[in-house]
Amino acid sequence: MNAVRTKAAENFRAHGVPHRRVEAWKYSDLKSVVDIDQITSSDAAKWTIDAEGVEVTDLGDGGFAGAMGEASLAFSKAGFGLRVAKAGTVRVNFFSPGQARVRIIVEPGATLDYVETAGGSGFQNIGMDVSLGEDAVLTHVRVAGKSNGVRVEDVNVAVAKRGTYRLHAAHFGSDLSRLELKVSLNGEGASVHLAGVSVLDNAHADVTTHIIHAKGDTQSTQLLKHVAGGKARAVYQGKITVAEGANGSDSRQTAKALLFDERAEADLKPELEIFADDVKCAHGAAVGDLDADSLFYLRARGIPEDEARGLLIRAFLHEAFDGVRDDLRELLWTSVEEAL
Amino acid sequence: MQYPVEIPGVTTLMFLKTALNAQRRARGEKELDAMSVLKLVRARAAQLKVSEEMLKRALNVGFSGGEKKRLEILQMSLFEPSLAVLDETDSGLDIDALRLVADGVNALRSPKRAMLVITHYQRLLDYIVPDKIHVLSAGRIIKEGGKELAHELEAKGYEQIVKDAA
Repeated sequence: MNAVRTKAAENFRAHGVPHRRVEAWKYSDLKSVVDIDQITSSDAAKWTIDAEGVEVTDLGDGGFAGAMGEASLAFSKAGFGLRVAKAGTVRVNFFSPGQARVRIIVEPGATLDYVETAGGSGFQNIGMDVSLGEDAVLTHVRVAGKSNGVRVEDVNVAVAKRGTYRLHAAHFGSDLSRLELKVSLNGEGASVHLAGVSVLDNAHADVTTHIIHAKGDTQSTQLLKHVAGGKARAVYQGKITVAEGANGSDSRQTAKALLFDERAEADLKPELEIFADDVKCAHGAAVGDLDADSLFYLRARGIPEDEARGLLIRAFLHEAFDGVRDDLRELLWTSVEEAL
Repeated sequence: MQYPVEIPGVTTLMFLKTALNAQRRARGEKELDAMSVLKLVRARAAQLKVSEEMLKRALNVGFSGGEKKRLEILQMSLFEPSLAVLDETDSGLDIDALRLVADGVNALRSPKRAMLVITHYQRLLDYIVPDKIHVLSAGRIIKEGGKELAHELEAKGYEQIVKDAA
């Protein structure tokens, strides 16, 4: 482990803090808001945890998705590892600046609900390394409240045969906020489902994903909805790789953004790398304002404009959580209501 | 708008509640809580054969022509406007749906409410019997009369009236 960390540190220092001339960080210029010392010598992030059905494990070899995951591996002074053999529920709240590593192992056939909230201001960087065994299911909920500062989470997930990883995320933005997700679907029947919303007012939120269909008959779905007001910036970069021979892979991604201010910006970038023949890959992106006819219809029924807009914005966002389990959807939706 | 807009994500019930309370507020009446709205909507919906399932669906999404029209009449019944304009309410309705819609309209007739019913066809007027008929041509009302005018038009057409008016 020490050798791995040393190498990660060397590598991170060699590349430096990611900035906008690095393709993967084009819309999130980290270097403009954090200097390298803040990363290399940051404190341990603090958290509270409430866990059932899990046992403690070590931090493992430290897989990561991107540069900041590598940084968390190299420089974080804290972390925890959890292993689930049957069924577990975990609630974690990261409430301070600093860095931490998290490792999660869901054993074959086991299930875990991992509900995570992130708060506090300053620089926060959480690196997660997750492995799902055959038929394992992880439901990951992330609510990242609005903050002043920089908030990054880097999530690296490996999914074995018929395993399922679900991520439901609600982001409210920071000076710079980024969720970077890499999921490798390593066995037939493995799937990943991402559903997320960003509600931004004068804030930045970046969701960057890389889904790797390493084996055939794997499935990925992604649905991201952003609303941005003021000088907000909503970013979605979704890269899909379908490996050679991964026939029968089915991949769908949709990203939509509503902009309410001419200073607001949405950058939606799907990217496909397909090396197999028999695959389904659908992607779509749309940026706009609320539908004028819908707004007119509601106003013609006496609903004041503000209220009509509110209804339509909620309808737009709510679609992202259509398939989410009731209790989790309520939790996510409560955070959205607070932000609107 | 003759054809109601489909609004995904907003349930019909949610829309009705929001609009009803917005109108009550505007009239200086007390807003209704969720339970009272539900009771009121259910009672009125039953009369118009608007099903519980329709109320739960997204507004107008996947509704048939008849369902959309019934929902419009349900809105009229709930919002109780002092003036209602029914623009070609009969278009696209079969005879059963037409009767249902007409019953809904007739139930709302009151000395306190004006209704302007616009149609190209006599048929609707067998079910919604008008107090007055006005013939509008090129932006001008060129003839007025009682309900018998509709039968006269049905028999003779508009040509002579338009010529007389010129």
